[in-house]
Amino acid sequence: MENSIQISRLFKSYGKVKAVQDLSFRVKRGELFAFLGLNGAGKSTTISIMCGQLKKDGGMVEINGKNLDDDPIAVKTELGVVFQNSVLDKPLTVYENLKTRAALYGIVGESFEKRLSELSELFELSEILKRPVGKLSGGQRRRVDVARALLHKPSILVLDEPTTGLDPQTRKTVWSIIEDLRKKNNMTVFLTTHYMEEAAEADYVVILDNGKISAEGAPIELKNTYTGDFIFLYNTDEAKVASLQKPYEAIADGYRVSVSNTKEATELILKYPEVFTDYEITKGKMDDVFLAVTGKKLVGGGE
Amino acid sequence: MKGSDMQICGSLIKRNVQMFFKDKATFFTSLVTPIILLVLYVTFLYNVYESTYLQALPASLLTDDSLVEGLVGGQLLSSLLAVSTVTVPFCANLFMVQDKVTGARYDLTIAPVKPHTLALSYYVATVINGLIISLVALTMGLVYLAIIGWYLSALDVLLLIADVVILVLFGTAFSSLVCFALTTQGQLSAVGTIVSAGYGFVCGAYMPIASFSAGLRNTLAFFPGTHGMSLLRNHALQGVYSEMSSLGFPNEVITSLKDMSDCNLYFAGHGIAPWLMYTVLIGSVILMVAAYVLLNVWISKKTNKKSKNK
Repeated sequence: MENSIQISRLFKSYGKVKAVQDLSFRVKRGELFAFLGLNGAGKSTTISIMCGQLKKDGGMVEINGKNLDDDPIAVKTELGVVFQNSVLDKPLTVYENLKTRAALYGIVGESFEKRLSELSELFELSEILKRPVGKLSGGQRRRVDVARALLHKPSILVLDEPTTGLDPQTRKTVWSIIEDLRKKNNMTVFLTTHYMEEAAEADYVVILDNGKISAEGAPIELKNTYTGDFIFLYNTDEAKVASLQKPYEAIADGYRVSVSNTKEATELILKYPEVFTDYEITKGKMDDVFLAVTGKKLVGGGE
Repeated sequence: MKGSDMQICGSLIKRNVQMFFKDKATFFTSLVTPIILLVLYVTFLYNVYESTYLQALPASLLTDDSLVEGLVGGQLLSSLLAVSTVTVPFCANLFMVQDKVTGARYDLTIAPVKPHTLALSYYVATVINGLIISLVALTMGLVYLAIIGWYLSALDVLLLIADVVILVLFGTAFSSLVCFALTTQGQLSAVGTIVSAGYGFVCGAYMPIASFSAGLRNTLAFFPGTHGMSLLRNHALQGVYSEMSSLGFPNEVITSLKDMSDCNLYFAGHGIAPWLMYTVLIGSVILMVAAYVLLNVWISKKTNKKSKNK
């Protein structure tokens, strides 16, 4: 699969603060790519450089084979960006905002009306087109933000913590539309998020800490590498759990036993069948991966 | 500029003008400023100017009070326009800084918009916004003149309109250069306050430059806004001076009045001709707009410059 984004040996410092240090990664076309890290880890700096908004100190950025240094304007047409906070013009209506932004990509007249109609249907914007953006609810505004980012049918959608502060229903709706578009149009999605359940759905995850990559891989690979499995035991007593001779902790309805991997869990079941009357086995979560990799807990959501 | 850039520029200009008029606080403040200035001038400066002219004119020549009223009115109108054509574009240029504060500029520059296109769109939009407000101020001033003493010809009015256009172009270029470097509301407020308070003195709108020391007069002659003020004053008072001339006022008296009211500007003892005033103003507009656009392009190139040193 060909690369949509290729970043090699990227450096960026703010004075003595090294925001990004020798960062290299790639994002494959059509992939859902998640960029995880605490505030100040270097996520926004990397995105700003990718989008041509910030000068890099060194390194190479290629978007769909186009070098950012050689043709920043061409690179910009490939990207659609949803910012962490809505940056549309609050005094203007949704229609006026989208019309202005579409014109920046040469989408005017009938082409704009046609695209607007498609996006209105997709994001249910018809009802709010004539309303000022400043008077929309958080969820409505976010839908407009995503529609704005998709106006020019970008091949890469960059989402900078797109669902922070949204209610679960709106978050689900926004994700459902993005996923649908990604699959239908083979659009690459570059995501930074605090929500672990969003990162867990990604095809590839990069964990950034202090401007460097701490770990990367598919979620399942990361889970297998950095966390073990967990056996949840219900309707049992502590003595039986202790007899397994594995680390455990009490949870609301029972106990959680840590094991290295699924093979070890299977061996325990075979050895102590009387303990395993009501149980389930799960992989470690992305929270556990993040904690294991960085030694820090990512605040914002759980898997 | 290519056709697509023109289209993008047109769209951004429309957006910037819409933003100005839909932001009621900014629009209302800009509109009210000239009205407040006119009221303040009439309240606090009318008597000062009137007594100055009465002292300067021989009593034997003063058979008609409306001549003095015309002089004072013309001076007030030219002062009002000299100040508002610069302070209003400063106010209208607010959105250039606001776009940085709100992050909207990020959203605009994430699109394939060339830096000179964005810079020009802000400039043209501010000129449009500034012109609308300044022409409203001119209309109010003309109504005021009609009430207290009208001596203007149609040509004088046309020349006043032309002065307003050139001064708005100048004020916008000046404010664009200043606002270009600002990134926060606090900086903007500070600059706005300094410009509002100081510009009237620098251009000679509050106090005639003729009343300053020779050194200061020569220094202020370097400032294009001073030339703009003098042009406005010439055109606002031309009718009264013509009337005086036709009533038999000696040329020496009229020249003295013109000197006193800064209709005649001097540099190192030499009179500055109107054509030179226009040249200074238009030349400064061209230079400042070029500098503003080039700075935008330079900053953008600095952001995207190749860095293959690592």
